[in-house]
Amino acid sequence: MTLKSLDFARSRPLGSARGTPLAAPRIPELHSEFAIAAALAVLMAVLAIVSPAFFTPGNLRDVFVANLPVLIVATGATLVILTGEIDISCGSMFAVCSVVAGVAAKASDSVAFAMAASLLTGAMLGATNGALVAYAGIPSIVVTLASMVALRDGLRWATEGTWVTDLPTSFQWLGMPATAYHALAAIIAIITLVAGAWVLRNLGAGRAVYAVGSNRSAARLAGLRVDVVRLGVFVAAGLLTALAALLNSVRFTQVPSNTGIGLEMKVIAAVVVGGAAITGGRGTLRGTALGVLLLGVVGPALTFFGSSPYWERALQGAIILTAVSAKGWKR
Amino acid sequence: MKKVLFAVLVAEVAVFAATAPNFLSAPNLFEVVRLSVELGLIAIALTPVLVTGGIDLSVGALLGLSAVVFGMTHQDWHLPIAAAMAAALMTGVLGGALNGAVVATLSAPPLIVTLGTLSLFRGIAEGITHAAVNYSGFSPGFLALGQGYIANLVPMQVPVLILTAVAFAFLLHRSVIGRAWYAIGLNVAGARYAGIPVARRNGIAYLLSGLMSGVAGIIYVAHLGQARADAGSGYELDAITAVVLGGTSVFGGVGSIGGTILGLLVLAVLKNGLSLAALPSESIGILTGTLLVATIAVDRVRRLERDVRASNRGELDVKNSQVAVICAAIIAGAVLVAATNVWLVRSLTTSGTAAAAAATAPSHPERIVVAMMPKAKGDPYFVSCRVGAEQAARELGAELIWDGPTSLDAARQNELIEGWITRRVSAIAVAVENRAGISTVLRKARDRGIKVLTWDADAEPDARDFFINQATAEDIGNALTDEAARLLGGTGEFAVITGALTAANQNEWISLIRKRLADKYPKLGLVMIRPSDDDRDKAFAETQTIMRVAPRVKLVMAISAPAVPGAAEAVRQAGRSGDVRVIGLSLPNINKPYVHDGTVQTVVLWNTADLGYLTMRAAVQVVQGSLQPDATSMDGGRLGGVDIRGSEVILGPPLRFTRDNIDRYDF
Repeated sequence: MTLKSLDFARSRPLGSARGTPLAAPRIPELHSEFAIAAALAVLMAVLAIVSPAFFTPGNLRDVFVANLPVLIVATGATLVILTGEIDISCGSMFAVCSVVAGVAAKASDSVAFAMAASLLTGAMLGATNGALVAYAGIPSIVVTLASMVALRDGLRWATEGTWVTDLPTSFQWLGMPATAYHALAAIIAIITLVAGAWVLRNLGAGRAVYAVGSNRSAARLAGLRVDVVRLGVFVAAGLLTALAALLNSVRFTQVPSNTGIGLEMKVIAAVVVGGAAITGGRGTLRGTALGVLLLGVVGPALTFFGSSPYWERALQGAIILTAVSAKGWKR
Repeated sequence: MKKVLFAVLVAEVAVFAATAPNFLSAPNLFEVVRLSVELGLIAIALTPVLVTGGIDLSVGALLGLSAVVFGMTHQDWHLPIAAAMAAALMTGVLGGALNGAVVATLSAPPLIVTLGTLSLFRGIAEGITHAAVNYSGFSPGFLALGQGYIANLVPMQVPVLILTAVAFAFLLHRSVIGRAWYAIGLNVAGARYAGIPVARRNGIAYLLSGLMSGVAGIIYVAHLGQARADAGSGYELDAITAVVLGGTSVFGGVGSIGGTILGLLVLAVLKNGLSLAALPSESIGILTGTLLVATIAVDRVRRLERDVRASNRGELDVKNSQVAVICAAIIAGAVLVAATNVWLVRSLTTSGTAAAAAATAPSHPERIVVAMMPKAKGDPYFVSCRVGAEQAARELGAELIWDGPTSLDAARQNELIEGWITRRVSAIAVAVENRAGISTVLRKARDRGIKVLTWDADAEPDARDFFINQATAEDIGNALTDEAARLLGGTGEFAVITGALTAANQNEWISLIRKRLADKYPKLGLVMIRPSDDDRDKAFAETQTIMRVAPRVKLVMAISAPAVPGAAEAVRQAGRSGDVRVIGLSLPNINKPYVHDGTVQTVVLWNTADLGYLTMRAAVQVVQGSLQPDATSMDGGRLGGVDIRGSEVILGPPLRFTRDNIDRYDF
């Protein structure tokens, strides 16, 4: 081992993406990402022949905007899953943050305050989950199962199913023209994704996420603050869920109290179809983005093909199952 | 773990015995067990899966699929009950085998595999029934399996649960296969080196889980008298909660059948006690979540203490911060539980006396207690009904208990009514989700001298005294179809956005709309039906897609309350207000902006507040004896005289909300 590689190892304590032997496990991920990209390409090709109307800019924008919440929440969920944990409370958190944003906007007449309130709520709910997982040592599936049920029923209790209506006019589109909002939302989503991917790949904090997910004891022995990392990913997931809830709520003039039901299943499916290992340590945000894209396009695509709505759920299940099985087969 | 859980169970029983009327009675306790049989079968079979370190999320969906296969083979193919049972069990086994095969042989993560099969099984069930067929009308002999009693006390299905528990306890704790499951859960590689056929042993766990889902599916049908594609929705999470609460580790290697049974009982007693004490259903979720975290936290503290004593070093790798968080979790849990108890005791002072009075003098209670149940509590439609019911309760000096499932759930409706029977309310008024299943329970209530009314949707006529009929399904279907025809000038294409594909009301309306089209408007075409799952955002996306896929659609008819504003927003954002019309069945408040800007033309609905008001009035009058079965009209309070046809109280024709009148309504 040369001095140079030692220096390299010190500056990037947990191995870098390029050049070092530690990069080797990335190769199978590339394969599975390639498989999803190929599946996506086939679907697109069939769509292009059967129903070219799918590719009108307006429709592509609609499909993108509809999947924006899933994409942003899935970015946070990827971090959580990379550390070997899981968060199934994001659907309930999404609903709570949406309602908080609406109530705050209505009470204060200020969209900035609504944004702050919603993001703070998300971060705090995420921190509660994270603290119970990292410091109390309760398994994350138990903690988030509990908070999923408790938050959903608590919200039902508080709102009694009524919607937040009569919002200030500056709420929809954040007071901007619709096209400007769409551009802004797209930029925010892409920045989140790219920045997240960059951090995961290049910063110590990002590598720490992989390290904790790959082997928690080894990460601790290597001097990482494992509990802080675990807390951090849950806080990040909460914040991103709140961001998604915000960007989604402002597309409308009212906030319903029952949004986000089943969001957690969509998100986890997208992350895992995107190649992340549910056991932690393996996966990329690029894969997650592809997973969201594939699962998000399937729904509208089936409508464009004119398939019966009664068989759609079965088809979606078959697609997830095939993606997972194909990966297992290769291994 | 078991000690902690047992203490929780004892505490629950003590609190509810003191606060909930008639909680501690043999029939009630047996009823608690009956209501948890389906869930119990699934939870017991799930325990070995979790012990191996796996998970099975598809159990609820497989229960639904087995139930549908049972109904289909018996009623469509006219096979005998035994053959239909075999088919349902076979479905369970095949489903479990699919899970097992993918998990075991392809070593794919079980969480995501069973997430996939969850969609697959539920989807197949929806596909083969077109989400609309609801198999019911099974023979009384079969229904007795789920609704009858042994020796007038023990529910018929309880022995099945006990046998299953014993068999699984033997398998898990006393057999070679069981030891293998623990070994796999503790260390897969180690198990493999020890010569354990890991794939095969894992496969068996999933296979058994599938088989028990099939058994639970059959019992579900016998219990509720219906088989529909959405049977058992959400059971997977309830079952996992019970198993984890029972001390089984989600990481595998730790767990027991006894613990699962204890966890199941803790949850079942909590549900039953809370509804007997007339606490709202939402408190169940909050308390379950708290209990789950607190029990496991307490168990951790106990184990840490034991470790401290064992190591006798006083210093352990447990930090102050960890202790602080655990303590905070426990204290937060304790505060929540204490707060609920305070509420319980407070409810005792009012409702306890009323129930006691009702028990001693059922015909002339001092205070009439009417228990009213919506189909789903969170639905704005039913929330607005409640406003009217409360108004009537104030006018008449009666007490109103308002509770129901938090989302559409036929089994939960039965459960709540059982609770109300035990609590001896004066009258029960139900918006029925499942006609066949609920009627048995309602008849039982009538046998005990409780007056029974139905509203919004009817039960079997002999299971209730009166039905408060807001508007018939034909009225709704015809009003919507006529409105569409008027707006389109009798010719053109339109699309329907429904609620969930399995929603019974919506499916009935759709079939009546089709009939009306065939009878009166042959040039009007219903070209597309899309589900919204009662989610505004999904209705929005579906409407966008409809406008692109079928540009000739000039009208969207949304027949679920949240779907109308969703569809309207999509039309407005596409800049096609006025070009594509939107009509539907929804509430005025959430549609006002769209009606005023001309995106939504017409919203059809009856006056929901009046429906709640009239139901409450009728219930009180039936209890007082001033409304007799042969009456032809009743005093509707602020509604004036109300007609009664047969045993149906008629609210009047549906309202049409348009730009001119919508501001006059606030619900």
